[in-house]
This record gives sequence, C-alpha cells and structure tokens, in this order.
Amino acid sequence: MSRVGRIESELTAARKAFLRRRTAVFFTFFFPLLIVVIFGVLIQTRPGDGGLFTEPPGYYVAGYLAVVVLFTPLSRVGSEVARHRSGNRFEKLATTPLTRPEWLVGQTLVNVGIIGLAGLLVLAVMGGLTGTTLVLTPATVAVLALLVAVGVALFCGVGALLGSFADSQDGVIAASNGIALPLLFLSETFVPTTLLPEWLPTWLSPLTYFSRGVRAVATSGDVSAGATNLGVLAAVAVVVFFAGALALPRTD
Amino acid sequence: MDEVLVAEDIRRQYGDTVAVDGVSLSLSAGEVFALVGPNGAGKTTLVRALTGTTDVEGHVALFGESPTAVDRDRIGLLPQDCTPHERLTAAELLDYYAGLYDEARAIEAVLEDVGLADTADTWYENLSGGQQRRACVATALINDPDLLVLDEPTTGIDPAGRRSLWHLLSGLADRGVTILVTTHYMEEAHELADRVGLLADGHLAAVDAPDALVAEYGGQSKLTVTGEFGETVGSDLPWPVEQSTGQLTVYEVEPRDIGAVVDRLEQVGADYGGLSWSEPDLEDAYLELTGRDVTATAPLATGGQQR
Repeated sequence: MSRVGRIESELTAARKAFLRRRTAVFFTFFFPLLIVVIFGVLIQTRPGDGGLFTEPPGYYVAGYLAVVVLFTPLSRVGSEVARHRSGNRFEKLATTPLTRPEWLVGQTLVNVGIIGLAGLLVLAVMGGLTGTTLVLTPATVAVLALLVAVGVALFCGVGALLGSFADSQDGVIAASNGIALPLLFLSETFVPTTLLPEWLPTWLSPLTYFSRGVRAVATSGDVSAGATNLGVLAAVAVVVFFAGALALPRTD
Repeated sequence: MDEVLVAEDIRRQYGDTVAVDGVSLSLSAGEVFALVGPNGAGKTTLVRALTGTTDVEGHVALFGESPTAVDRDRIGLLPQDCTPHERLTAAELLDYYAGLYDEARAIEAVLEDVGLADTADTWYENLSGGQQRRACVATALINDPDLLVLDEPTTGIDPAGRRSLWHLLSGLADRGVTILVTTHYMEEAHELADRVGLLADGHLAAVDAPDALVAEYGGQSKLTVTGEFGETVGSDLPWPVEQSTGQLTVYEVEPRDIGAVVDRLEQVGADYGGLSWSEPDLEDAYLELTGRDVTATAPLATGGQQR
C-alpha cells in the first residue's frame, strides 16, 4: 500500500470513529456558534465606547475562526493520542507500515475537514447575526482556506505533543484548555494590542499570525499581507507538526 | 532451519525494576514458541523488546534485521491490551488495518477464521469480551504475516473459542508461519507449542519441548485421596507418600496400581471421599523451576518412603 493509501485508511477510520461520537460532533459545531452568539449578539461590539469589544464587528472574524482552529485540534488530537495510548494502538501501529507522521497527517486531514465545515458555519452565522461583510475574492478565499488548514495542522501538532506527554486523557484536556485560553485572548484575536501591555510579546504566539492573516484577507482584502502571515504560520506549523509526530509513542 | 527471530542477552529495566534480564532465544520458520509465566513475569516486556516497540539492551533480529527496520508486512502483532476504535465494526476495523499494508487477506476470510463472520457489522464496543479479543487477533492476521506475535491471545475467550483459535494457529504453523505466543495457560502452551520458554522474574528458567520440560522438571504422577485417615494409613504402601489433614498423596503410582492403594484404605477402614490421579504437567515443571512447588507445601508425611 502506498503512503497515500495508508493515510487514506487512517483518515477513513478516524473520520468514521469521530462521526459516530454524536456528542463530540454536536459540541464541535455548537461551541464556536455559542461564541459567536455570546460575543457577537449578546455582548455586541461598541466601537469607540471602550471596554473589551471596541473594534468593528469585522475585526472579530479572526477570533471566531481562531476558536475552532485552536480548540478543536488541540482537544481532539490530544484526546485521540491519549485514547491510542491507553488502548495500546500505537504499539500495534508501530509494527505496521504506517509511520507516525502519516498517522498525524490522517488525523489532521479529518480535522481540516471538520474545522473547515465549522469555520464556514461560523462565518455564515456571523454574517447573518452581526451583519459583517467580508472581502471574498478567489484570492482571499484561497488564502483564508490555507490559513485555516495550516493553523489546524499546527495545533494538531501541539495536540500530539500534549497527548504524548500528558499522563492521562483528563490531563490532555486540562493542558489543552490551559494552553488554548491564554493563546486565544493574547494573539490579537478578540483583544487588540492597544488594550494589552506593551511588553507582552504577542508576536511569539503562532495564533497571532493566523489572526493577522485572516483579518488582512477577510476584512481588508490584502492578499499580500495575508500570504506573509500564512508563510510565518506555515513555517511554525512544519516544525510543530513534525515535533508532534515524532513525540508520538511507540508504546508505554 | 532458517532463524526467523534471534534474541541475545535482552535486558530491560524500568527504574529499579528489571523486567527482562539476560533473555536469549531463537525461533525457526514454522515453529510455535510459547512464553509461559504468571502476570509480572516479563512476557509483555519481552514481546515489546522482540517487536521493537521498546528499547532494550542486547541484540534482536527479525528475519536478520533490526525489529524497527524489518519489512513490517511480514509481522503481525497482537498486543496484550488491545482496544481499537470502539465505533468501527469488526469488518471496518480489519479494513482499516488492511489498508496499511501492501497486500492483505480478504476481510471476510479473516473474519471467518476467527469466528466473527456473523458479527462483521457489529461495532467493536458492542461485541462480547471474547469476540473483541478475536477481532484483535484478526487484526494480527490481516496481512498474512510470516511471524505472528500474540500476547495472551485467548484471554477472555471461552473454552470452545480458545480451542478453535488453537486449531487456527496450528494450521498457520503448518503453512510455515512462525508463531510466538505468550500465555499463562499451561494447557494452551502444551497444546500449541513446539517449544516452551518458562519465564519467571524476567529470566528464562528453561526452554524446551513441553514434554521434555515435564519429563525433566515435572516430577512424578500422583494419586490424591481425600477423606479422614489415621496417621499410618500410608505406611505400608510401596510408594512415596505425603499426608496432611484430610489428604493423602501417593507419588509414582501407575493407573494399574490404584487398586492396591484402595485395598490399603479399605484394610485400615479409612473413610475416603475421592481419588484423583494425575500426570505431571507444565505447571508442575514451572513451579519446580521457579521454587514454588505446590507439593512442598504439604507437610506431615508419615510412613512409606518420605519425599
């Protein structure tokens, strides 16, 4: 079986296994919608009035997308690694031709599909509820899609690292929340840099480049800026993805 | 014969605990080798060492290559605790593993082999414990391996299913598949294996054919009588005896001699409730080799030839 065939087999099994966990499917799509409804509809943005949500509604598209790009891969891949560890699946897989990077590619593709759908849903609901209009040209849509896919790959790598080093599935969930929450609010997603301390190095967070890239293409139509941020995000994603793949255990 | 698996002086330590220490063994093509030992003896660690899923000191070669470099199409592994995707059906589970190999057997045929043809479309989590174990065994067979490594394959499987699996494995061995199986069922090892390795505290205490191990270490046949006897009930018997409260054990008795023992019991008016005769088996050999000989716990021998 070719590399593509092995990844396809992993992808198919992972997709079926996920889609048959109804609670997980429901909340994967419900959680980001909840964020949009709470922040975009209930709290609403008040440009110029001060407070937390001071920017125009379009500013927050990056934040809403970041919720799904960040939380879902971290918790899903982290939990999947923990499940594989407790079920000795990696021990079994280590004696098959499937390599660890191939396994993670399979899992990542499933996440790209799920999060791609969730992202579309978020954008549709956001547009419907807040009246936000986005700059949608073939170029901006392409860069936006790549930002989401690369962001998912990056955080799948982080999830693999968490799942490999945490000592239990509970530990994975706690650790992923502990990492995701500060990243979400300190990466130019919901909170602009003007409201953060100057010394805070938001540039260290890879999610910052996701936010900047999404905002550049979706609200400004600046494909060049979007591509630049995509490049930074991709460079970090490659490193983190392979670190995550190599951290996957052969056995415990 | 060609050596499929060679291990020399394998050692694996976890912290202060030595799980496997100085184990050497080799398996030839078509051989069935059983690693026998209780929980904690080091079986699973040794399996991981031999399949390259844990790092060890010493040398391991599968088909002449390192376990991590060998062609993985040639190996089939059943880990001890195997929990695959719970919400895939048995057929989907096999389809998944089949997709990882260059060539794989027909899924229906493998399901038939392990007795799951009728439950092919049942989610793994809805199978019974024994069926789940058989589904896991099937994942080790799907690539038609040359070397099959099964860590306690029959745990949780009912007696009929166990015998069915033994039959399947024997058939594979007849076709030239080399099989390494771990078990704590002595009967299973005796039934299946060409050679048995008795593992205790990380050491291989002995390796030989089951009958040879029993002959060398298993001791004698014995007749066990339960009931109420006087202290001298066995004194006139021409065989070694051990006696404890409510039990008389007579060693080296052949079946044809049982009548003589019964006559003696009748002579002294012993009130005996049951007799059972047994030949030594692998369990006796294991207990003898590891210093935990059950017969040694029987005190108060009286009369006859003391052991």
